[in-house]
Amino acid sequence: MYDLVIILILTALGYFAGSWAEQKHYRSIEKREQAMLKVPVTTMKKIKLPRERIEKACLVTGSAVISVDYFKRLLASLRNIFGGTVASYESLLDRARREALLRMRESAPGASLFLNVRIETSTIGRYSAKRNIASLEAMAYGTAVYLRKKNETHAAPAQP
Amino acid sequence: MARLSTCAKKMKHTPRLPSRNHNVTPVSPIRELLILLGGLVAAMVLIYVLLGLGADLLVEHISPQTEQKLASFFAPKKNPGQGQSAKEQWLQSLVDRMESKKCVRLPYPITVQVSPGKHVNAMALPGGRIVVLDGLLERVRSENEMAFILAHELGHFKHRDHLRGLGRGLVFAVVSTLIGGSDGALAGLVQRSVQVSESSFSRDQESAADSYAQDVLNCTYGHVSGATDFFHHMPKKQDPGAFGHYFSSHPENQRRINSLLNRQQEKHYPNGTRIPLPPGSRKDVSPPK
Repeated sequence: MYDLVIILILTALGYFAGSWAEQKHYRSIEKREQAMLKVPVTTMKKIKLPRERIEKACLVTGSAVISVDYFKRLLASLRNIFGGTVASYESLLDRARREALLRMRESAPGASLFLNVRIETSTIGRYSAKRNIASLEAMAYGTAVYLRKKNETHAAPAQP
Repeated sequence: MARLSTCAKKMKHTPRLPSRNHNVTPVSPIRELLILLGGLVAAMVLIYVLLGLGADLLVEHISPQTEQKLASFFAPKKNPGQGQSAKEQWLQSLVDRMESKKCVRLPYPITVQVSPGKHVNAMALPGGRIVVLDGLLERVRSENEMAFILAHELGHFKHRDHLRGLGRGLVFAVVSTLIGGSDGALAGLVQRSVQVSESSFSRDQESAADSYAQDVLNCTYGHVSGATDFFHHMPKKQDPGAFGHYFSSHPENQRRINSLLNRQQEKHYPNGTRIPLPPGSRKDVSPPK
């Protein structure tokens, strides 16, 4: 009887704490995405720009690890039986990817654009003894490009 | 064509966030949980009913030989009378007496075994093994009372309840492990719900075994005194009471006493004098504390 009560408590805790953390995280994500809206992030490898306009280009990474809660795991294990969209895990992956992208962008303040951006996802703790810890990591990486202002580029070749 | 290119030139890109999150399915998690759990429970109930029907059909056709083979998977079997303690020999003699008087007809010999344990309980295991716990022996006050308990377990053998319970329980353990996989929570939930329904299933079996034991007691001793003693001697905390009986495999004691007394009147079974415990075994049965 007691283990049933423990399961119920853990599920309720997972639901309330998990939804609270998720809503809070989404609010933060949306606010930061809005703030960084004007810096383009693209998967393109090349872009046509005069060479002298590029000040520097460097590798930037950002990663986020998010854990699954008891409630989401229960929902997902039920989905394992019936099949269908595992909606409870979708938001986890979505949060991890967007958080990783945001962190990547935040690691290069002042960059004009990000090129060749990729996202990788992996699970953590999946092969641990009882598989009781399950988290996922999303990692975003790309090339941050810093551009000179147009009047600066005109001045630059005149120097030598 | 020219128009289009002018349009394109005039178009200005304004970055904005998408109006909604396309990567997350907009469903209420609580609603999803209720639907999935409901479906699971419905499926389990269906499987349970089908398995119950299947097990009941199958149990009638398991031969005593097959049962002996099955039992050897669980525990090595001792031969009757071989390597038994004084307590076990006394209990064995009670069972043998019922059999020699032709009050009990079972297709295989019954072995009685005493196990250490504080609980007041006795079990019927596949292969004709009755296990009596020490806790029960310490409570017993007369031979008739002990004989009723043994006859009750013999009733489970007679009705093949031990196989029925095993069949369902075994298949369910396998099914819940398969479904739940490595997820402990789900497997636990399934097993819990199975145990509850299994208990109510065996309540009828307990009552049937009581009736059988009463018949055997009357046949062996010529009266049924001592049949209800056990229920009086059962500790209060092991009596689940009217409220908790759904979680117990034993119907509440008073109900069983009443039904045995009613049955005694119906069948006109007489009362008689209880045979005291054998003088040597009293000390053996309940060691001084």
